[in-house]
Amino acid sequence: MDKLLRNKKAIFVFVAPALILFTAVLFIPIGTSFYYALCDYDKVTRSYSFIGFGNFINLAKDKDMFIALKNSLFFLVFSCVSQLIMGLLLAALLTNIKVGRNLFKNVIYLPCVLSSAALGLLWAFLFHAKVGINNLLANFGIQGPAWLYSTSGFITLPMWVIAFVSLWQYVGQSMMLYMAQISGINKTLYEASYIDGATKMQAFRYITLPLVKPMIGTAMSLNAIGSLKFFDLIYSMLGDKTENLKMDVLATFLYRTGFSSKGGNHYGKASAIGVILVALCLLATAIINKLFKTENYEM
Amino acid sequence: MRRKVLSVMLSLSMAAGLMASVPMTAAADEEVQEITWMFWDDLDASEDNITKGFKEVIDRFNEDYDGVYHVTPITTTLEEYYTQLNALVDADQTPDVFIVSPGPNLTDYVAPGVVAPLDEYLEEDGWKETFSSDAVFAQQTYDGEIYAIPLNIAAACVFYNKEIFEEAGVEVPETYDELLEVCEQIKEAGYTPITISAGTAWCLSMLAGYLCDREGVDLAAINAGEESWNNEKTVAAGEKLLELSQYFQETAAGDSNDDATAALYFEEAAILIQGSWAIGQMNGANPDFEEKCGVFQFPAIEGGNDPNRVIAKSDSLAMSSSTESPEACIALMKYFTDDEAQRYTAEVGGKIPVTKVEYDASVAPAQLADVMDIFENATGTFGFYNESLVSSDAGAEFDNHMVAIFQQEETPEEAFQAVEDWYVENGYR
Repeated sequence: MDKLLRNKKAIFVFVAPALILFTAVLFIPIGTSFYYALCDYDKVTRSYSFIGFGNFINLAKDKDMFIALKNSLFFLVFSCVSQLIMGLLLAALLTNIKVGRNLFKNVIYLPCVLSSAALGLLWAFLFHAKVGINNLLANFGIQGPAWLYSTSGFITLPMWVIAFVSLWQYVGQSMMLYMAQISGINKTLYEASYIDGATKMQAFRYITLPLVKPMIGTAMSLNAIGSLKFFDLIYSMLGDKTENLKMDVLATFLYRTGFSSKGGNHYGKASAIGVILVALCLLATAIINKLFKTENYEM
Repeated sequence: MRRKVLSVMLSLSMAAGLMASVPMTAAADEEVQEITWMFWDDLDASEDNITKGFKEVIDRFNEDYDGVYHVTPITTTLEEYYTQLNALVDADQTPDVFIVSPGPNLTDYVAPGVVAPLDEYLEEDGWKETFSSDAVFAQQTYDGEIYAIPLNIAAACVFYNKEIFEEAGVEVPETYDELLEVCEQIKEAGYTPITISAGTAWCLSMLAGYLCDREGVDLAAINAGEESWNNEKTVAAGEKLLELSQYFQETAAGDSNDDATAALYFEEAAILIQGSWAIGQMNGANPDFEEKCGVFQFPAIEGGNDPNRVIAKSDSLAMSSSTESPEACIALMKYFTDDEAQRYTAEVGGKIPVTKVEYDASVAPAQLADVMDIFENATGTFGFYNESLVSSDAGAEFDNHMVAIFQQEETPEEAFQAVEDWYVENGYR
């Protein structure tokens, strides 16, 4: 094995297939989209012309970009905070129960493995103006709210609705990560704390939380990246109504700008949004890593 | 030894199988010309009668040309249609034949040479002579060349529920003021006066287009830069849009076009302003509604423009300039415009045929006779506003600002000024 690893040709042969594949489907498209971000796409000639930072300047003046950025940042904050709290809470609860742990774990994790498109349609039906929840409320003489089409408020009601649906879908993932970390904590630490008179809450506060902290950084980074590039649930719940309902996030704004029937085909501008999205993902990850940088404890 | 014999036999049979299949595939490729046809509805799942008719055309074509030509449909939803079509065009996989709306959408494919001119094919075998007049090609003609074949004509009209009108004790309104009175009385009778979709912006935009035209907005002058979008007539139209919106269903902001149309044929609402293409959808979904459904011309605005102008629209077929089988494409297009298909268009689909075909008006949807009356008495036609502007982007901008007026996020002045600003920023002034 050592001999093989010293053979540079062999290493190259083993690495080459993955490298070629990644280069073809990932590195080259990312590189070209960075270039296209500096170009204007002409619908008529279907060709690109270099315009420097023109797309970025236009985006800075675009009120739709402001709406998309605002909504994406809302998702980012909501997702990070809510999944941290709910994920940790569920993980702590499930680690401490003996009966039905696996059942609850599977039930909570199940939405993660289901198709977002299918779930989006399901929730869109439930929050439909006339059927689903509103129909149920109507039976009691209550007029349901405009779950998915209210446009009032800085953060609109549909945005909150979709954020909660997203929390429901992905909280299982955070919970699993925290559970893995919690179950790795040596039980003797808890036993020692209980002998010293600590309550369960104190044990959670002073043992579980500090030892779970490295995983909080990882889980939060995943949540941040996931929420910034959030697309499928919004699109399957609202379709092409995102623009008029002021429900665009960066990913739907990118899709609409690049590919939509309504004012689409602006590939240069869409690439620029993509570049901003990548930059935001990197920035969010860097900040989270900085905030949750911890020593690795012996557990 | 036994294992070796078995493996040799299996290898030989696999090789023989491969060899046998190669010439068969090659022969099949030589004989059958494969083409694709792209359309904005699901041929198998749709309840729309026009879509069902298109499915029949495709099936008939594949059956009649079995072993010669074969067409494979590519279907999407209407909302996704141009998105997917543009993706295919940009990937150099343009469908051989595809449906397209005349106006800026078609221009987007004509200008870069994505679609081919069809004049030489139309002149062959007297195909062009079968059409009702050369005027049906007006919106598909660029620099004297025809780039798409119209399949049908639809007129935007006002559909209403006769029973609700009777119950509310109202007559068909002829003027805008009468329309307001009718709406008020229908509301008092406990029904939603107007069902419309603002979630699907073009539906609301169609109403805005009618109001602009009735007010006498000179769209050609605006497009040419001779007038500003922000003028007395457009603002008056915007104010009327806002005024009418008090009679829309409460869920108009989020309802899709299908939701809004369903509210009429499920008899929850009294009035729907929609194209006659909705006849097929309404009658297909609720056949009982056909006899209850009346149609009238969009009302006049007193002191405004000619009230007999109608918004008209046609579905058209374009042929890819890169197709390898133009003969198959033309043969398919001819199937869409032959007597059988055109008769179906009128008798079942409820749209106006584009050819001289004779059809049995007694079996056609009841609403078609009213639409035909409106169309025949029309003094002129005009397109959807969002398809009549300087580009498809301008159309999208117009749609969005009409929705903004409805949502009271912009005043009519602000909305039309924003459209004007867009024209300035994009070099159309």
